[in-house]
Amino acid sequence: MILKTSALAHTFKSGRHIQFPDFEVNAGEKIAVVGASGSGKSTLLNLITGVLPLQTGSIQLTEFTYHRLGARDLDTVRADHIGVIFQSLNLIPYLTALENAQLGLQFSTRRRSRVSDAQRVISELAIQLGLSADLLGQKPSELSIGQQQRVAAIRALIGKPELIIADEPTSALDPHATQLFMDQLSSSIDPETQAVIVVSHNPSIIPLFDRVISIGDDQ
Amino acid sequence: MIRIAAASIRSRIVPTILVMIALTTSMALLLAVDRIQDATKRGFNQSLSGVDLVLGPRGSGIELILYTVFHLGKPTNNITTETLEDIESKPFIEWAIPIALGDSHRGFRVISTTAKYFDHIQFGGDQSLTFEAGRPFSALNDVVIGSAVADELDYSVGSSIFVTHGSEALGKVHDDFAFKVSGILNPTGTPTDQAIFVSLEGYELIHLGWTNGSQAVSLKNLDVSQIPKERLYPKTITAAYLGLSSKLNLFKVSRSINEYAEEPVNAVIPGVALAELWSMLGSIDIVFRIFNWLIIAISLIGMVTMTLTGLDSRTREMTILRALGATPANLASMVLIETAIVSITAVLLAIGLVRLLTWGAADFLSHWAGVRIDLTWINFSELSTLMTIVLAGLCASLIPAVMVYRRSLARGFSH
Repeated sequence: MILKTSALAHTFKSGRHIQFPDFEVNAGEKIAVVGASGSGKSTLLNLITGVLPLQTGSIQLTEFTYHRLGARDLDTVRADHIGVIFQSLNLIPYLTALENAQLGLQFSTRRRSRVSDAQRVISELAIQLGLSADLLGQKPSELSIGQQQRVAAIRALIGKPELIIADEPTSALDPHATQLFMDQLSSSIDPETQAVIVVSHNPSIIPLFDRVISIGDDQ
Repeated sequence: MIRIAAASIRSRIVPTILVMIALTTSMALLLAVDRIQDATKRGFNQSLSGVDLVLGPRGSGIELILYTVFHLGKPTNNITTETLEDIESKPFIEWAIPIALGDSHRGFRVISTTAKYFDHIQFGGDQSLTFEAGRPFSALNDVVIGSAVADELDYSVGSSIFVTHGSEALGKVHDDFAFKVSGILNPTGTPTDQAIFVSLEGYELIHLGWTNGSQAVSLKNLDVSQIPKERLYPKTITAAYLGLSSKLNLFKVSRSINEYAEEPVNAVIPGVALAELWSMLGSIDIVFRIFNWLIIAISLIGMVTMTLTGLDSRTREMTILRALGATPANLASMVLIETAIVSITAVLLAIGLVRLLTWGAADFLSHWAGVRIDLTWINFSELSTLMTIVLAGLCASLIPAVMVYRRSLARGFSH
């Protein structure tokens, strides 16, 4: 088991309350979390990554139970065990693609220890994700959206964190590019140790996943 | 983090450079003013030693010191040699050296005096004047030159010199009488280096036949050796340096000379006059210093403003770093590291600029007043001032750093 949530809920200052379904994610699984805009997908992502404090329920990521951890420990768990890909504007504009990819190791001693030669691993991941290694020296502004998403994927994958979370990673891509990106992402993970959760409001991507978790039905 | 912070600064290079220029300039000005002022004071104070009093016509003591010792400004009045002889004969006076000013040679001031000048006048505390070549003047046409004069005009012992009437470069040249260099003084780092010394008699000789600034009779038509020596002793001089038999009587003697009934004269203690000068300039210095600190404060505010205005556009960057596991403290420290990089770079540039400004000022002072100031790199006290400024910058940057910290706690990955 990589991730397990139970009785997870969040209440905003405005009084709005979101109840999330219980779910479990195992190694090798590709899970889609779907829901309409404003259904709480981003809140779920923030709770899983430990950026939002846990109010009700429990989250267990590998051997870590969130309510037993302080904010600093949660930051360490996120750095060590989670790779995040955003919807767009994934990269820091003043760093090259290579430097952006290396950031995946910046805050995690555990992930750093798993990579002896970062540049070689990044080049290998780039090839797996269909990105020419020549582009790694470019700044994000010189790359297409699809290329930027691949650099973000390399950054999320480097050092083999157990959970890859992607927030609407294909919203800026056409259906063919979406299919290709998801295939490449899936083939880049280690099915023995890693799993992928993709958050999306687009139901058309559902066939690409092993399982779907729908949220926002009972708000 | 330092690498990321440095890259982040590079991405905002234009505003960063502008802030850095403001910070560097203000810090350099603050230090340069201080060290130039200190060095100038030291240079001026060391320019004239061994002289207890400067005797001159009644008027401003500071002005008297400036035009006699530093060749700045022009004498407005003379005193009679009769008065000088009378004062010199007093028991408390050990020696008196008359000086007459007015002429120049290619921009260098001519001082007519007696050979005793080279025995009694000292510099840098207690160092006597020494000759690099030749000897003091003895003949009517002998001239002694300072080291800077010799260097700049490429003169050596035996070179001929024509003196210009007045201190203006375009004045009428006393071309009917040539002086010959009899000696060159060793460098002193004082106005002496830029002076040309002739005997009182030689000086008087070239002015024979001159009335109201124009020459009526040329020396070419005269047999100079036939002119009686006493005829060449001047009736008036510009000032005189006095040495006392006992320093304990300094203020008493100064007061008694100031009350001299036969002629309105003034006996100025050089140290006191210079202290008055520094005190007058001190208030200007305080105003200047206040303005400098204000500029530094404004530059620091500019640096913080630059960081604050950049925060909104950097939200995404902060979110990405948070997602990668950066703690709020990591993000706040990145802001502080950026400030540290900017301010420490500004400090290093300021040190270089201070050196450059001091060098420029030293060159200017050397040409303007003949005072040489020491060129040094940064000292501990200056470094402390700069570190205080860096610390102030870091403290000011706590504002955006705390804002980043709070924002990253309050916001998730959505924005």
